Amino acid sequence: MNKSILNYALAGVLLAAIPVQAAFKATLIMPGDKSWEGSIVGRDGDWIEFSTGKSPKPIRLGASTIKELVFDVNIDAEKLAEMKRNREFERIIAALDRAIAPFAEYSDIPSNLTKYNALLMELHYKTGNFDKSLEISSKIADDDRDPDLQEKSRIYQALALIDAGRADEAEALLTKYGWDQGLSDDAAPEKLYITSKLMVLKKEYSNAMELVAKVIAFNSQDPDWMQPAELLCAQVYTELGMFDSAEEVIRQISLLYKNTNEDDQAQKLKIRIEKLRAEQELEKSLEAENT
Amino acid sequence: MNFFHRYCGKVLKASLLVALLSAGTTLAQDYSSMGISDVVTSADRMLQRGDYGAAIPALKEVISRTAPLTDPQGMETAQTCRFQLARAHYQMGDVAAGMAVLDDYLANEPRAKERIALRMMAQGFFDTKEWDKIEEIAARLLEFPDLEKEDLYNANLLLGQARFRLEKWQEAVEPLAYAAKTAKDERITALCQIMIVRALVEAENWRELFGWIPKIYRTDSKYDITLNLTLMKAGKVRFEDDDYLNALLLYRMVLPREELLEFSRKRERTLVAKLEKDMKVGITESVIEERQNEINDLKESMKTLSDLPAYEEEVTFRIGQIYAEVKRYWESYVLFDKLYNNDRNSEIGEASILQSVLILYDVGEYARAEERILKYLAEKPDGLYARTLLNMMVRDNLVKQEFNDVVGLRASVEGLPAATSADDKTLQSDLHYMLAFGYFQSKDYKSAGEQFSVILDSYPESNHASDSRYYRGMTYMLQADYVNALNDFKGYQAANEFGEHISASLFREAVCEFGLENIPESEAAFTRFIDKFPDDVLVSEAYSMRGDIEAAKEATNEDPHTLDRALADYRKGIDKAFTAQQASYAAFQAAKVYKLEFKWQEIIDLMQYYMDRWEEKADVAESVFWIGQSQIELGQVEDAVVAYLDAIERFGNDPLQQGVDKIILELVKVSGYHLSEEDREGLAVKVKLKLTSIDDRMEVLRLRLQVTQALLQGEDIAAALGAELLESGVKLELTTPASLSLMCDAAVDTGNVEEMGRLYEYFNANYEESDLLWHAYRAKTHKLLAAEDNWGVLAAIDEAQGLFGAEPFMAWAQILKADTQFKMEKYEDAEKDFNMILGVPEWRGPVFAEAMYGMGRCRLAGGDLETAHSFFQRTYLLFKGYADGDWAAKGYLAAADVLIKLGREEDAVKTLQAMLEDEYTNTNPLAEQVREQLKKYGGQS
Repeated sequence: MNKSILNYALAGVLLAAIPVQAAFKATLIMPGDKSWEGSIVGRDGDWIEFSTGKSPKPIRLGASTIKELVFDVNIDAEKLAEMKRNREFERIIAALDRAIAPFAEYSDIPSNLTKYNALLMELHYKTGNFDKSLEISSKIADDDRDPDLQEKSRIYQALALIDAGRADEAEALLTKYGWDQGLSDDAAPEKLYITSKLMVLKKEYSNAMELVAKVIAFNSQDPDWMQPAELLCAQVYTELGMFDSAEEVIRQISLLYKNTNEDDQAQKLKIRIEKLRAEQELEKSLEAENT
Repeated sequence: MNFFHRYCGKVLKASLLVALLSAGTTLAQDYSSMGISDVVTSADRMLQRGDYGAAIPALKEVISRTAPLTDPQGMETAQTCRFQLARAHYQMGDVAAGMAVLDDYLANEPRAKERIALRMMAQGFFDTKEWDKIEEIAARLLEFPDLEKEDLYNANLLLGQARFRLEKWQEAVEPLAYAAKTAKDERITALCQIMIVRALVEAENWRELFGWIPKIYRTDSKYDITLNLTLMKAGKVRFEDDDYLNALLLYRMVLPREELLEFSRKRERTLVAKLEKDMKVGITESVIEERQNEINDLKESMKTLSDLPAYEEEVTFRIGQIYAEVKRYWESYVLFDKLYNNDRNSEIGEASILQSVLILYDVGEYARAEERILKYLAEKPDGLYARTLLNMMVRDNLVKQEFNDVVGLRASVEGLPAATSADDKTLQSDLHYMLAFGYFQSKDYKSAGEQFSVILDSYPESNHASDSRYYRGMTYMLQADYVNALNDFKGYQAANEFGEHISASLFREAVCEFGLENIPESEAAFTRFIDKFPDDVLVSEAYSMRGDIEAAKEATNEDPHTLDRALADYRKGIDKAFTAQQASYAAFQAAKVYKLEFKWQEIIDLMQYYMDRWEEKADVAESVFWIGQSQIELGQVEDAVVAYLDAIERFGNDPLQQGVDKIILELVKVSGYHLSEEDREGLAVKVKLKLTSIDDRMEVLRLRLQVTQALLQGEDIAAALGAELLESGVKLELTTPASLSLMCDAAVDTGNVEEMGRLYEYFNANYEESDLLWHAYRAKTHKLLAAEDNWGVLAAIDEAQGLFGAEPFMAWAQILKADTQFKMEKYEDAEKDFNMILGVPEWRGPVFAEAMYGMGRCRLAGGDLETAHSFFQRTYLLFKGYADGDWAAKGYLAAADVLIKLGREEDAVKTLQAMLEDEYTNTNPLAEQVREQLKKYGGQS
């Protein structure tokens, strides 16, 4: 099936109702948490036209005065979760992009779309589109309505910069958030993990190893950070030439995190290790011949 | 654990009865006289009212009347009443009676309420804990087609729990998983998950278990005390079975006790508050009891946990061990590091520092490991693992051959508290043993010997004791303390008939006897060694050394074949050699003996034999040198020159082929003594051609050819090359003894003190065995002279003379020695040293004149003017021809001065006049000074 058609069909599965008209059903929340049900009729520069349906003419509000817009985006959350479990990331991205696109005009106003953007941020990162992930995470990072989400976006900001190879910017960001300080045994796993990744980027493998080891050793019950930390751990062991150790970690990833991105990457790493081992053996035999 | 399932008694609707029973109310007292419709109506009313006790007799009456009926309506009525009767018994708390009725119900037809009846039965069995019955009933329930979700849930929950109780672990998982997934009550989900984990642990189904764990750890179930204790117990079992991977994954899910207790306390408070609140609103006794049981269970598990001895650190330690075991070293390290930092004084803390250091060594973080050890030793020199850790550090440095670092730890070793236990004594003796080897390898034999002595004196029971005796003997021997060395070697042999060093100690015994100049004893010991250990690695050396003894013997009429015996030994030395070095020694010593006997062809044959035997490992350049020498003696000069040039070209780029340097010097000698002018020029041209055609990468060979060319052109050109090399800062790794000796001489000639030191160090470190090393000693001595370190000068000269004795090129050493004694105003010693020169015929020449003059100076300084005059006189009388008459002129002047001091001015004038008449001195620059002096004594000149 043609990919775009498939995505379109999928969007249909996910989204019970995609607004196609100019007016969007929405709840308008103003400072002080006073809210109105109605629909957004349109936008005129900095002015938002909102209709409650009770008066014939829509009211005009300054966009910057709106605390939050809650759009009526009818996404099938259960289906979304299932697709995420199945790692159909590209499809989810396509569907979410379609779902959010009509509201693009209002993207500067805080809204309930942030959680979908947060998901997009995560999925773009997982699919290796670091620039896009960074673009979204940078926006959310400035939005302090949901501290947890804000923290999460900062994490993805750092991760995207690191995985895009932008070490200096990542380092500056970590300093800005104070994550480069106090990396003790009790530090939050995400800080240890991110700093470890940065160390890898800077090829400071021993430092990286110690940090990621702390994530694993002191946060083994953490369901969010153990999985990526285990993969990073295997990668750093490989860089340090400790192939036996790396393979042991890979074995554990396969056992604990079957059918995950980390498992996929761990299997690729395993092949790389086999290649490195073969090269090492070859070098040894050549050396032996020379001596 | 509590049982939870939704018992839906209300499913049993009264509608059925309504359909069946239409009669009005009747008093319950005597149903036998009433019509059945009335009895039924009566029962129904009482059931509607909730008066279950009163309904029971009526229902029984109906059943007794309808039970025998076989028509469908009658059977249905009987069954409906049985069901209601059972329900009434349940409501009245008489579960046993209810279950008996349900038995009848389930045994008869029709069974419209079979599913409910089964569930009620199950409930009954639950109370009596008859799990096998529950299992049977639940399984029967699940066989019903088209079960509602609710029924499926209930049946699975019952079945899962029953199997769990029956310890049918693996079979319990599936129904429990279903219940966990479909339960609407989070508490039930949690309990099902906990039971699943336990079941999978007991079933040892690790793969499925680890699939569940991430899910559970996203919920509060992870705080369940029973779950944690189960994981911990399973982890321990796995660990003890060496199943490290599963042990690790189980252990690392265990939460700290305080975290579990904190969560449980909070939960208890919540449960109690809710119960109190609900009781105020009004809940049934059974619900109260159920809730209270839940609270009690929680309390009990908290108590169990509180009563457990502290497990967190032990679990952490064990996790650390497992990580290390599966080679996840860094995870292990951070855990041990944390444990140590948490409590440095506890046993587990101490064990953790040890483990963390072991891991740092495993991952090659040596500097960090050492830093930790030193910090620990500074903090706790009496720590539990102080000796062990120090042992590790010393051993590691020893293995890495960082001997300075090994001996640098002596203070730490000696700073440890006295060893009292057997283990500590073993460790302490290990430390001294390793220190000893550190010193030994650093060539500090005295300190090495001291450490071996510590073992022998303080730890005589140590397993290093006997080896220490042997090695201490070695340290004595290497310090030329042959008496003590001999004692140790003999002592070792006496106490260790089958010891590892038994052969070596006998060999060393022979060497020591030789050192003590007990030649017959030495020879006898070598012979014993050869007889006893004919295949030992040292036997070649034994043959060679016995050959040396034989060669040194004077042949007499009684024993004319000493050299033959020596040659036989050297031959054996070549044949029995284990290394090329052993064979080379024997071969070249044999060549020297043949040379004494002028057996040139034998030398050539021997060298060919040696080269054939050792092929590429042979010292070919040295062999060619000997062959060339022999060819020259046999008149085959041209062949020798060709062979020399060929050897220079073939081996000259390898700085370690020192034979090439010998060949260069020999070639120069041959050129001077055996070649015609034409051939000399031909040779020079050949060398020049080689130099111009040489590959740029052959830098060592280029330098050697440059030296050859310079030496062929004469001493001045060679000296100029030495100065040029010094000036150009040639890389020392390109130099070899031939070039280094020119550079050393140039450094002395130009007074370049810094280079004198640097060249000596390099020369000595790289070409310790070279015949040209004396140039380096000369440079070193001049460096010390420049520093006015007189004692240093004397020590350096002693060392040089110890190596080269009174070889013709060593006169400088004796002169400098005498001069230094003179400077130190030790005139008698100085005179003796000057006098010694005159006893070495090889030094005849200007050095003799200098020595005689020096003796005069000694006497003059000591005030013995007559004798001084005599020495000065002899200088100008005996050695006037040396050094262009310089020493004679000095002798004249000094003699005249002494005569003046003696008041014999006339004789002084005569002496000076004689100098001016002497053809060796009258043109000497000092003659002008004499003429001026004579003018003072009367204008004579």
